[in-house]
Amino acid sequence: MSRARFALFSIIPLALAAAFVGPGTSQSQSQTPKSGGVLNMMLREELSQGFSIHETSTISTVWPAMPCLNNLVLFDPLKKTESVDTIIGELAEKWSWQDNYRNLVFFLRKGVKWHDGQPFTSKDVKFTFDMLREAPDAPAKLRINPRKDWYANIEAIETPDTHTAVFRLKKPQPSLLLMLASGYTPVYAAHVPPAEYRTNCVGTGPFKLKEWRKGEYVEFVKNPDYFVKGRPHLDGLKYFVIVERGTRQAAIQAGKLDVSFPGETTKTAAEQLKKAVPQLVITPFSQNVADNIIMNIKKPPFDNLKVRLAVSHAIDRRALIQAVHQGGAVVGAALAPKPWGFWGLAEKDLLGLPGYGAKAAEEKALARKLVAEAGFSREKPLKVEIVTRAIAVYVDMASFVINELKQVGIEATLKQIETAQWHAMATRGDYQIGANLTGVGPDDPDANYYENYACGSPRNYSQYCNEEVMKMFDAQSQELDPKKRLALNAAIQKKLEADAARPILDWKLDYFTVWPHVKNLIPHQSIYNFGRMQEVWSDK
Amino acid sequence: MAVRGVEIGVPAGARPRARGWVVLARFAQKKPLGAAGGVLILVMLLTAIFADVLQTHDPIATDAAATLAGLSAEHWLGTDHLGRDIYSRIVHGARVSLIVGVASTLLGSVLGGIIGLLSGYAGGTTDLVTQRILDILQGLPLLVLALVMSAALGPAIHNVIIAISIPIIPRAARVIRSSVLSIREMQYIEAARSLGLQHLRIAFRHILPNTIGPFIVLCTAQLGSAILVEATLSYLGLGVPEPYPSWGRMLSVSAAEYAQKAPHLVLFPGIAISLAVFGSNLLGDALRDTLDPRLRGS
Repeated sequence: MSRARFALFSIIPLALAAAFVGPGTSQSQSQTPKSGGVLNMMLREELSQGFSIHETSTISTVWPAMPCLNNLVLFDPLKKTESVDTIIGELAEKWSWQDNYRNLVFFLRKGVKWHDGQPFTSKDVKFTFDMLREAPDAPAKLRINPRKDWYANIEAIETPDTHTAVFRLKKPQPSLLLMLASGYTPVYAAHVPPAEYRTNCVGTGPFKLKEWRKGEYVEFVKNPDYFVKGRPHLDGLKYFVIVERGTRQAAIQAGKLDVSFPGETTKTAAEQLKKAVPQLVITPFSQNVADNIIMNIKKPPFDNLKVRLAVSHAIDRRALIQAVHQGGAVVGAALAPKPWGFWGLAEKDLLGLPGYGAKAAEEKALARKLVAEAGFSREKPLKVEIVTRAIAVYVDMASFVINELKQVGIEATLKQIETAQWHAMATRGDYQIGANLTGVGPDDPDANYYENYACGSPRNYSQYCNEEVMKMFDAQSQELDPKKRLALNAAIQKKLEADAARPILDWKLDYFTVWPHVKNLIPHQSIYNFGRMQEVWSDK
Repeated sequence: MAVRGVEIGVPAGARPRARGWVVLARFAQKKPLGAAGGVLILVMLLTAIFADVLQTHDPIATDAAATLAGLSAEHWLGTDHLGRDIYSRIVHGARVSLIVGVASTLLGSVLGGIIGLLSGYAGGTTDLVTQRILDILQGLPLLVLALVMSAALGPAIHNVIIAISIPIIPRAARVIRSSVLSIREMQYIEAARSLGLQHLRIAFRHILPNTIGPFIVLCTAQLGSAILVEATLSYLGLGVPEPYPSWGRMLSVSAAEYAQKAPHLVLFPGIAISLAVFGSNLLGDALRDTLDPRLRGS
């Protein structure tokens, strides 16, 4: 498939999704941007991994760390949709696929400086991606490497000169470019130990770290040496940590903060805000985050497929969307469904999958039967401990799930885990069952499968491993025919749900809220990719 | 029993025993506010005991079709953001509040009482060292100490009980010790010593029963604080874990978010907490006035 064809193939669904992104965005690209001003933003919790995006799996870190870093390429901050055609260069001025998607060559910008004054070169690119793919001769190692499997197909990274980097792949993988364009894929400085990013941020990005007062705020100032002339427009950014959701909402309503936190404004909250302050600009968009159930397949009772399927059948997805999200989510399988995403299964295809049936009572009856077949009864009930992150959006979902499980004879108690422990605990498999949210950088099958379902991936919290399915992952990854790739992905998603690998409950929408003076902060179709802030300006 | 308890050194049977209801009637007549507090605590107690009977819905059952519903015949006090019946959650929340309040108060008061008894009776270096340790504990406010304990132990009902009871220990120890210091100097204690009774027997058999008055006052006074601390811990996410209802948790996180649209989410749990603490404080004050000879009649 030609690059153009692939691009066209990717853009159609995203254009569809764009049509559903509601009106009222604050963006006014026709206006001449003003320079100056500081935006006050919010954080829902402390930065548990500092600015070390490569060691994190949460928007809580990506959102405040993005302004100080750069990628090789990035999804255009000014475009709502994300596709291969909306990718722009950052540290790479140009790039080129060669040898039928086997080699990806980046031509790097010259004259770029790190915030400490050191020059940026291809050495930094090789350092970063050798570290990420855990190459045998990698000069550094991350403490946690959640997206290691995004880069498993990279055979070698060559740097013929200081401003060229070549990614040599084991097999064709067009999706690699989309993964490199995610907010999860910044370039680190080779001369800075990776551990330092947990406390400091030495980037090339539009903003430099001024101060991080733990538990209170993170402050950035404009990088006067930024390689994009005339950017950023703002003089600074200040992110305030406000843990309590109602307080955050009150702060934006009162005008103390200018921007909501991506993924944290529910439909009802948005309605309340709009009613209280009609001039607020609210933009519904797909978070590319799915509510899901992780079950530790290595431990009883969830090593038993019947028990896993019982859990999946027990949870009424549609009721969950109404109760927990007040309608602000959509039913889907492993990949986000149309029109919010491109690859997800259609409603008619979902109906036959465990837990997706239109009649919740029938699904629950099936769940009870499976629980009984697994050897549990009223006298000998199945008792489990559900873990979840100590964040309101997680706890609400877990509370709903506990009630659903109770109705099919599974008695569950809830244990809340702080973010600092959550990902490590899940990676270790130190749990039975969990109410989880999984966010995927770009809306792309490779990014999702290799991160969350591949054998041995640190983010494969369920520890699901099926060699047959792995072959299907690889087959779709290399498939250049769009129709065939779509069909392969449909089959994979059905298989994953049939195996109850990680039952997906819904795909969440966010109601991103900003004050009208905030311009050019455009939500994409994923919360992870639009936090760079270089184009944002304040019309105050 | 409580009235006799403070009449230190008066042999049992010196006065004719009044019937229980007569004592209560006299108490209500003399201290109507205290009686009202007692009624509130009694109502809370009965609600907690009969929560399963009084509930109209399963307190953890969600209802997608009735989220944030207002007051109605179906949902007397409306529903929360997950469609859970607020009335049923408040009824069951009484159980949690009372269990945590009573258990932590009793645990803290009994442990503190024993420490105070032994410290006061032993005197000397033992008393000095014990009191300095208690000084350190008492230097930390109840809520701060409970927060630290709860964060360290994790959110579970038994951990919340432990977390709240520990700050009560020094307060209880101080109160009981002060009574013991005066009682141990009385002649009947001297007589007991002269008869060769063992120290522990003197302390527990002859001194402890006479500290029961201050002990009851202490317990009722601490009950309100314990209920309030439990609500605070739950509000901060360190109390009884979701989805099981707790008044403090009902006020937290999501309730605050939806409070503008559905004020009943915070109104009714708030009223429940206020009444419980108010009742406990009224009763505690009245008992203190009744049982403390210095305040009697004031």
